[in-house]
Amino acid sequence: MTISLILIFVALLALGLVVRLAKGRASVSEVLQNPNEHLQSVDVEAFRNLVDPGEEEFLRSNLAPAEFRRIQRERLRAAADYVSCAAQNAAILLRLADAGRRSPDPATAEAAEKLVNNALRLRLYALQAIPRLYLGMILPGVRISPVGIAERYEQMTRLVVLLGCLQYPTRGISAAL
Amino acid sequence: MSASITLFYYLWIAPHVLETIILFAMVRRGLHRQFPMFFLYISFEIAQCFCLLYVSQYISYFSEVYFQVYAVGLAISAAIRFAVIYELFCHFFRRYPAISGAGKLLFRAASLVLLLTALGLAVSAPGNAPAASLNDATYVALKTTTFAADRAVSILQGGLLISLFLFSRYFVLSWRSPAFGIALGMGTFAIAEFANTALRLYVPFSNKLYDRAAMGIYHFCVLIWILYVVRPEPELRFELRSLPTYDLEIWNQELERLLRQ
Repeated sequence: MTISLILIFVALLALGLVVRLAKGRASVSEVLQNPNEHLQSVDVEAFRNLVDPGEEEFLRSNLAPAEFRRIQRERLRAAADYVSCAAQNAAILLRLADAGRRSPDPATAEAAEKLVNNALRLRLYALQAIPRLYLGMILPGVRISPVGIAERYEQMTRLVVLLGCLQYPTRGISAAL
Repeated sequence: MSASITLFYYLWIAPHVLETIILFAMVRRGLHRQFPMFFLYISFEIAQCFCLLYVSQYISYFSEVYFQVYAVGLAISAAIRFAVIYELFCHFFRRYPAISGAGKLLFRAASLVLLLTALGLAVSAPGNAPAASLNDATYVALKTTTFAADRAVSILQGGLLISLFLFSRYFVLSWRSPAFGIALGMGTFAIAEFANTALRLYVPFSNKLYDRAAMGIYHFCVLIWILYVVRPEPELRFELRSLPTYDLEIWNQELERLLRQ
C-alpha cells in the first residue's frame, strides 16, 4: 500500500510537472517584447577577478587560513551569482535569437544562429560551473577554473550587439537589449 | 445497450476515429515526413483497434485469444512509441547542434536510470491475484506480465519525455507546435498509464473502472494530438524588420571589427 501511494504521488507529481512545463511555454513572447526588463548587468571584469587563480594565491599567502577560507567562500558565492546572472541573460538572449533565426533576412538569421549557439554553450557551461563553484565553497582549497565563461559571455554580448544592429539599424545598439 | 457498454464502445472506437483526423492533418501539412514514426504509431493504433474489434465480435469475445492479440499489439505499440520518443529527441537536437552532444548523453543516462528503476519496480511488484472467473493460469500469467511490462514501458517513456521537457526548459529551447503536442500527449499518456497500472497492481479494485480510466486518458491524449497537429503554428508577435542591403554590409564590417578586438 505504501509503494502504491508513493507511485501515485510520483505519477501525480510528474503530471503536474508536465502541465507546469507546458504552461511555461506561453510566457516566452512576453520576454521577447520586453527583453530589457529581464536582463541584468553582469560585470565580466569583476567576475574574472573573483575567479582569478593569481588573486586566490595572493589572498592565500597574505591571509590567515581561516580568514582566507571565509573570504574565498564569499568570493565564490559572488562568482556563482555572476554565473547565474550570465546564464539568466543567456536564456533571455536565446529566446530573442531563436525568434531571430526565423528572420527572412539571411544575415539576421545567421547572426541569430551564432547567438543561439553561444548562449546554449554558456548555459551548458554554467550548468557545469555552478556546482564546481559551490564545491569550491565547501572545500575552499580546491582549484576551479571557470574563467572561460567570462570569455564566452563577452563573445555572446558582441553577437547580441550585432543582432540588435541588424534588426534595428536606425535605432542603434541599445535596441537589441 | 446499457450506458456502461455504450461508454465502453465510445471510449474504444471514438479516439481511433479521431485519429484518422490526425493522419489526414499530418499528410496535409507534410508532418508525416517530419514525424514518420508518429504517423506509423497513429496508423498502427487505428489498425489495432479495428483488428481487436473484429476479434471481439467474430472470433473470441474478450477472452484468451482477444487478450493474446491485445498483448502482441501492445508490445508493437510500445516499441513504436519508443521510436516516436527517439524521433522527438532527434527532431529537437537537430535544431540545436550546439547541445546535441549533451542531449544524447542525457538520453542515454536517463534511459539507463529509468530502465533500472522500471526493472526494480517490476521485480518488487506483487503478483496479480487471479480474478474469480479466470481459471486458466497461462492467461493470468500473460495478463500479469503484460501489465508489468506496460508499467515498465510507461516509466521509461514518461521519464524520457519529462527529461526532454526539463532539458528544453533549462536551455530555453523553443518547441515547434506539433513536436510539443506529440511530446505532451505521449508524456501525459505514459504517466497516466503508469499511475493506472500501478493502481491496478497495488490497489485491487474493479478492473472495469481501470479499463475505462485508461481508455478515457487515451481519448484525452488523442484530443491533445489533434489540437497541436491540426491547428496552424502560432505566429510570434516579435517582429523582425527587413533591412536594406547597404546597412547589412556596414554592420557585417562592424561585426568583423568587434570579433577581432
